[in-house]
Amino acid sequence: MELFIQQLVSGISIGAIYSLLAVGYALVYSVYNFTNWAFDAFMAFGAFIAFTSISSLFLPFWAAGAISIVLTIILAVSAEKLAYSPLRARKAPRLFMMISAMGVNLAIVNIINLIYGGTFRKFPVDALQPIFIGNVSIGRTDLVAGGISFVVLALLWAFLYRTRWGLGVRASSIDILTASLMGINNNGVAIVVFTLTGILSSVAGIFYGIKYAVYPMMGMVTIKAMIASIVGGLGSLPAAIVGSMILGILETMVSGYISSTYRDLFSFLFLIVILLFFPNGLMGKSVEEKL
Amino acid sequence: MGYLIAIVILCGINIVAALGVAILTGYTGLFTIGHAGFMALGGYMSAIMVKELNVPYPLALLIGGAFAGICSFIIGYPAFRSRLRGDYFAIATLGFSEAIRLLLNNTRGLGQSLQDSTSSFGQGASSLLIKLGGAFGYMNLPNVTNVWVVVVTVALAMFFAHMYVTSQYGKNSIAISQDEVAAEMMGVNLLKTKLISLFISAFYAGVAGGLLGFYFAYLSPSLFTITKSSDLLAAVVFGGIQSLIGPFITAFVLIGVPELLRTFAEWRLIIYGFLFVIVMIFRPQGLLGYVEMNFSFLGRWWNAIFRRKHTPSQKG
Repeated sequence: MELFIQQLVSGISIGAIYSLLAVGYALVYSVYNFTNWAFDAFMAFGAFIAFTSISSLFLPFWAAGAISIVLTIILAVSAEKLAYSPLRARKAPRLFMMISAMGVNLAIVNIINLIYGGTFRKFPVDALQPIFIGNVSIGRTDLVAGGISFVVLALLWAFLYRTRWGLGVRASSIDILTASLMGINNNGVAIVVFTLTGILSSVAGIFYGIKYAVYPMMGMVTIKAMIASIVGGLGSLPAAIVGSMILGILETMVSGYISSTYRDLFSFLFLIVILLFFPNGLMGKSVEEKL
Repeated sequence: MGYLIAIVILCGINIVAALGVAILTGYTGLFTIGHAGFMALGGYMSAIMVKELNVPYPLALLIGGAFAGICSFIIGYPAFRSRLRGDYFAIATLGFSEAIRLLLNNTRGLGQSLQDSTSSFGQGASSLLIKLGGAFGYMNLPNVTNVWVVVVTVALAMFFAHMYVTSQYGKNSIAISQDEVAAEMMGVNLLKTKLISLFISAFYAGVAGGLLGFYFAYLSPSLFTITKSSDLLAAVVFGGIQSLIGPFITAFVLIGVPELLRTFAEWRLIIYGFLFVIVMIFRPQGLLGYVEMNFSFLGRWWNAIFRRKHTPSQKG
């Protein structure tokens, strides 16, 4: 029973990190209708900036986090300006957008690899003592990572549903052309969306780095976020969060009770099973192509 | 000389796999970043065929390809049936190839855990899995892939790919890549066409994996990483959408040039990344996008030579 509760808490915390990633994808996808493949590179970038600020510049954790968020926002917005916006202006097909994003991803990840090398690094924060409730030990990093992730998600929700800018983003996600006819500044929305992307990826990167390790290919974990959003149901933020939670808990249960080696295999099998029995995901609406 | 031949062999093997990606990504418009997984499946299967069952080498390559093709349905059927959009299909292929790599990395452990089983099937599976060697690699394969095998395979692969894309199925694939809804309204069976295209694509990758194994004389999961998939995708993106000759040329250049310039190895993927963006912005159709392979110039040359020979005699 103790093991079960420990795994559950750990699963919720990793699920919260997956939620940040899944929401980051869904945000760009809902507005611009393409998957921002570079997202995982932003995540690795954010984690490495924070890592360097702490290990080389000896900054406190909060300052490193702030620097990482700001630089990742700059990276995300400049990727949008340099690689996506010219294509969008030309109304290029989605495949071209994806390839361009993939290029950004390849370039950033491999630049990080060139600078730091491919080794796994421990994120330089002091290991926090776990909290004991009875016999159950709960990692404080899990609590912090999960808690802050939920706060970020709540702030994102408040931004999208309680501010004028959020209204602009939501309007653009329904129909970007009509939204711009109604006086919504398209370029402004692009900057807002990619700023949010930068924040989400940086926070997710830092916490993933603390929980596991910092390495150039750490962005591969965003596959999990994709799987989670397919499992939950495409095209809605709550479904992405539910899918992430289910996947996070499933993974920690598998690594706790079966074998951590086959954790990724299980999440992939889970995806196939879900697709076979729930073709639209657990909470998804029927996916019909818009004419 | 041996070094150059080695490069030609590696280029040829990658051309076969890149043609597979061209059929799927270039012609059917389905983005894949997991073809290394299909290469691994085909490679291991044909290696098992030759080494454990003494199947002749060319037949083993075909069996490996067919095995990769059939395995592609595991991912293809659920994904296409649920109309997974392009990007999510790409993720599914990536997940598939990572799962394959994970399994191959751990065959030793799997085999050892099966060792206690009493059934003869369990025993056989266990000894086979241990022989596959996990992350260490499947060793001592016959070293039978030589330059002629590769040249013949590339020629056949090119020929059949050309036949496919100019056939009715190929036209259906192109229609799907242009507009799925319109294609379906014109009576194209989306699921069937996509599955056929995926099967052929995985078949090509599987054959390429087999060739690779019998060239290196060993197979290890580290040969089939995401970098491999990115290389293949890069060949198709730079070579051009809806073109076979484009990926053919770029696969040759992209594999051959880094082999010759080993010192720039770590810069290669960075340059690819920037090139992806630059190509998409300035020449999105790729180097030879929408250029069909065309041998009519051979006929023209033949006619030109033929006529020149005969024109004087006619005058005379």
